[in-house]
Amino acid sequence: MPVITVTQVNKYIASKLKSDRILQGIMVKGEITDFICHYKSGHCYFSLKDKESTLKAVMFASAASRLKFQPEDGMSVVASGSIAVYERDGVYQLYVNDVIPEGAGKASVALEQLKKKLAAEGIFAEEHKRSLPYMPKKIGAVTSLSGAAVQDIINVLSRRYPLCELYTIDALVQGEAAPMSICQGILKAEAAGCDVVIVGRGGGSSEDLSAYNTEAVARAVYNCKIPVISAVGHEVDFTLTDLAADMRAPTPSAAAELASPDISQLREYINGYERRCEKAAMAAVEKKLGTYNSLSAKLSAQSPENRLKLMEERLANLQNRAETAVKRNFDRCSAQLAEKAAKLDSLSPLKVMARGYSLVYKGDDLVRDSADLTVGQEITLRFDKGTATAEIIDVNGE
Amino acid sequence: MENKETFEENLKKLADIVLELEKGDVPLEKTVELYGEGVKISALCRNQLESAKIKITEEK
Repeated sequence: MPVITVTQVNKYIASKLKSDRILQGIMVKGEITDFICHYKSGHCYFSLKDKESTLKAVMFASAASRLKFQPEDGMSVVASGSIAVYERDGVYQLYVNDVIPEGAGKASVALEQLKKKLAAEGIFAEEHKRSLPYMPKKIGAVTSLSGAAVQDIINVLSRRYPLCELYTIDALVQGEAAPMSICQGILKAEAAGCDVVIVGRGGGSSEDLSAYNTEAVARAVYNCKIPVISAVGHEVDFTLTDLAADMRAPTPSAAAELASPDISQLREYINGYERRCEKAAMAAVEKKLGTYNSLSAKLSAQSPENRLKLMEERLANLQNRAETAVKRNFDRCSAQLAEKAAKLDSLSPLKVMARGYSLVYKGDDLVRDSADLTVGQEITLRFDKGTATAEIIDVNGE
Repeated sequence: MENKETFEENLKKLADIVLELEKGDVPLEKTVELYGEGVKISALCRNQLESAKIKITEEK
């Protein structure tokens, strides 16, 4: 017979158990005992026991963190998971991935079934969801008037949208009579002429939300003729009311915000309209003024004064041109005159005499030929400057 | 300022006036009239908004 190691034995048994499908994905009913949550890792170790037997169980931190309640010794639960071997210690145990309190198990199954049924009827259908009115005049609130929810709603609405009326309807939010009370509240809000209704309650994760998970309330929300905002006050779980409502809010305050426009936005609307009003009016006036100005300019261009002025301008212009032309002509003429005078001057006999020539006169006649003269005849000599009388002594012909 | 209209109705009126003015083919007299009315209504809206106090009624 071959000898094998402890490890081999445990490995073999582990593989045997793992391959047994009956031991995988099972739900085990029992009472919790020796519950320990390891403070550092968050892993939980406990045993499940019934009258005759106990079973070791371990729940890792990832699964334990998803639990909605704190498991304690003595609690009757249904744990789901798989059986496997912890090879180091040679023990088999239940590796738990979820634990539900035993009583709650049945309820949660029933709730799932109800959810499926209502979903099949279209109670949760997206196309049935209505949009919320932007500026509701009257907002209904179906909740416990002794709870914090109603004050939260009042606070939010006073700050954001004080123009509205809040119609509060007292309703029981837990206990056996709660579903009926909530249904009636919804009908009352509808009958009172509310534009939108908030259905909900304040509270934390441990609150009893069962009233909001009843078929009656889900149907009342679905059948309500005005939009419904659910505010059941639970961050994680969606109740049937949440699913049936037109809008889901995590808290009553958030529901009030969803139900109302913000006053600062309304102010902005008014400002915007005012600016546009002013701009459009200014533009209209400006446009008309422009037309007036252009017409008026055209008209004044045609006025007698203006035409006279134009003519005066033209006259002045012509005058100016005439003067210029006359002056130019005059200048040209005087230049010509000066030139001619200079020429004339250079030809003057006086100029010639200035160079030393003299003229000879016989009486008044200028002598050009010596043949005209006789000896003893008296002649007059004319110099550049002055005259002299002389007597001919001799005449020579050329 | 006495006015029976709700804030919402007044805001709608204001919007209508703005749209009318923005059409641009309004006669001058009408423009001035509309503008005056627009200014009045916007003041009214603002007044309504600032003086509003939430009304709380309780179902009996």
